[in-house]
Amino acid sequence: MSPDKNGSALHAFFTCMRCGISVSPNTPSGRIRNHCPNCLNSRHTTMREPHTTDGTCGARMQPISIAVLRSGDWTLIQRCTGCSELADDHIEPDDNQLLLIRLAIRPLAQPPFPLEHLGALWAAG
Amino acid sequence: MPRRNNQRPERRQPHGRAQRPKRMHGRNRDEYGESFRCLHCRLDVPVSAPGTAHRNHCPNCLSSKHVDRSSPGDRASTCHARMEPISIAVRGDGEWVIIHRCVGCGGLGSNRAAGDDNALALTRLAVTAIRHPGSPLRIQMTVPAE
Repeated sequence: MSPDKNGSALHAFFTCMRCGISVSPNTPSGRIRNHCPNCLNSRHTTMREPHTTDGTCGARMQPISIAVLRSGDWTLIQRCTGCSELADDHIEPDDNQLLLIRLAIRPLAQPPFPLEHLGALWAAG
Repeated sequence: MPRRNNQRPERRQPHGRAQRPKRMHGRNRDEYGESFRCLHCRLDVPVSAPGTAHRNHCPNCLSSKHVDRSSPGDRASTCHARMEPISIAVRGDGEWVIIHRCVGCGGLGSNRAAGDDNALALTRLAVTAIRHPGSPLRIQMTVPAE
């Protein structure tokens, strides 16, 4: 396979930018892997609003939250640490389950208002 | 029709420099002003919000409008479709950020939660991922019986 413009060959192992493990782009679901299954980080390759001539940013994208599609599947929301663009990515079956659940319950762990008063609010309105 | 009063003294800001005119929500001149109407629940919302300099989503249903393209406040987008809230992210300082997805072009955006946002809508958005455990998830999220 010929290497692409990021220097990594498709269908060969790539190295995670954050945790450094080598992972295969092949996934159990048959799709091409976009993020590291260990730390859920990825490299920003396709920009929606290109600021550079080749349309790539190349910085690391870190996971920030979990969104739910209409089909009920989870989606990973990532933010680029270089240009702060948002992107969504499908979740593979071999992704880190503990990190996914930690992302999903993170808003409830740090609420900006006391959650115990919501019952009274619900009863009032 | 009342004639415009040109003799009015020019208002000056306390720090000496007048603020530049900012284009508010709306496509034409008639829609600019101190309030905007939500595209989803049709609520008339004042622009000034506690906690933020400019309100960018409806405090009742948390919907927004796709007006910014790449950076917040640039008003460069030509989409102008409704953006629906899909999830809550947490910043490093514990602040909640609402992630929006445009129903017209599919673009993503993030807005800080304001002080007067609907607490029930925010909490419902925060527990959405736990209510719907996705298909790739192998861990059973059930509460153990006491």
